[in-house]
Amino acid sequence: MPSRITAEDILNALRAVQDPDLDRDIVTLGFVKDLEVSNHLVSFTMELGSPACPVKEQMVETAKQAVKALGVSDVHVKLTFQVSSGRGPKSSLIPDVKNTIAVASGKGGVGKSTVAANLAVALQRAGAKVGLMDTDVYGPSVPVLMGGSEQPKVVEGKIEPPVAYGVKMISMAYFLPKEEAVIWRGPMLHKTVQQFLGDVRWRELDYLLMDLPPGTGDIQLSLSQSIPLTGAVIVSTPQDLALTVASKAIAMFQKLKVPILGIVENMSYYVCPSCGHRDDIFGHGGAREASNKLGFPFLGEIPLDVEIRINSDAGKPVALDSSTPQGRAFQDVAAALAAQICVVNFQTEETISLE
Amino acid sequence: MLTDSKPVPKNIKLAGGNDALTVKWSDGHSSAYPYRYLRDKCPCATCGGAGLPKQAASPFPMFGAKPLKPERAELVGRYAVQIHWNDGHSSGIYSFDYLRQICPCPECAVRREDASTIERA
Repeated sequence: MPSRITAEDILNALRAVQDPDLDRDIVTLGFVKDLEVSNHLVSFTMELGSPACPVKEQMVETAKQAVKALGVSDVHVKLTFQVSSGRGPKSSLIPDVKNTIAVASGKGGVGKSTVAANLAVALQRAGAKVGLMDTDVYGPSVPVLMGGSEQPKVVEGKIEPPVAYGVKMISMAYFLPKEEAVIWRGPMLHKTVQQFLGDVRWRELDYLLMDLPPGTGDIQLSLSQSIPLTGAVIVSTPQDLALTVASKAIAMFQKLKVPILGIVENMSYYVCPSCGHRDDIFGHGGAREASNKLGFPFLGEIPLDVEIRINSDAGKPVALDSSTPQGRAFQDVAAALAAQICVVNFQTEETISLE
Repeated sequence: MLTDSKPVPKNIKLAGGNDALTVKWSDGHSSAYPYRYLRDKCPCATCGGAGLPKQAASPFPMFGAKPLKPERAELVGRYAVQIHWNDGHSSGIYSFDYLRQICPCPECAVRREDASTIERA
């Protein structure tokens, strides 16, 4: 290695490496840490904003090549993660939760809960600390989707959430016998949302995903007022009817200044398990078109697949196994979501000061 | 387009001087809302934008009415501020868009006047 190469030279070379989502180079973003230049070796740490970052290997490789181009033969890059959190207002209810993501839809039955549970599992598998809050008090489904028989415990006046597949969970289903129904008006719903946030010991979390009931009602409003949400993910099926109603959910979040992180197309297509023929039952690509038209990121498509249904009912989310196409689909959506969270956090205005 | 590009407050001062709440906006605009004006524009369901009933002249002027002012305020989610007034009223949630819309400065007043002229035409 030529002896004249300095740390400054290395940093200059690394300025050519861009983060494709944030449109900035990795030095300006502060990703490069612990740079050491010794006789035959250059080593540094690359600290990315999410373990689910979709382009992490690619960025490490580009960085290595950039340094090698200076004539360095041995480059060691250590990849670490520090999940970013917005600079916007912090919530006193959940001070140690870095990002709060609402999983919402206009219509019911589009698969919000399945998507939320699988995204939670996929982010956890990638190495993040994840929580899943079931705010659908009328039709709670998280405990079924995530399996496990653990119940919440009350310790020192706070609720200790059960854990399944490394994901902390809370749901109304834990507090009611199976056959009982919740028949409440708004103020009770508001109280429950507040309790799920403030009285559950979430501790430190990178991502808290919130499975919402369909529509634009009390729960959505309470949640958006109680905490400064990082953003919302909209789940829709591809047909026009569902998309028309999904745009109402989008309109609500925009009124409440909650950023739209992107749209997921669920039940996107059906592949016949016996003959392999693909059928677009609800049409296909509608959500992608809608996100292009509205200017929101499209996070990906999830097939209508009997495996997803069977595993969901059995409490084993398909995202647990990334070797299956279904698991892969959810991991891709999770990676796209993680990237959008980084983008939103990067763009958010600084905290509003109130005196 | 993750969020809309409407201006948001960078700084909100409850005691902005001259019995007014002041807001500095992300686009550089400054607004000053006299307390009485702000309360008259309270958007809560009970006030319905109608404001306070006109107070009857006190039969005991020597005791004077307590001057109206906000005691404290909290941010609501990412989109609004809730004001707690010294007479106990606190149900008004002023969204940032609404606050900007009712900015009493002459410039904004002219813009509102223009908009309503167009509507009438």
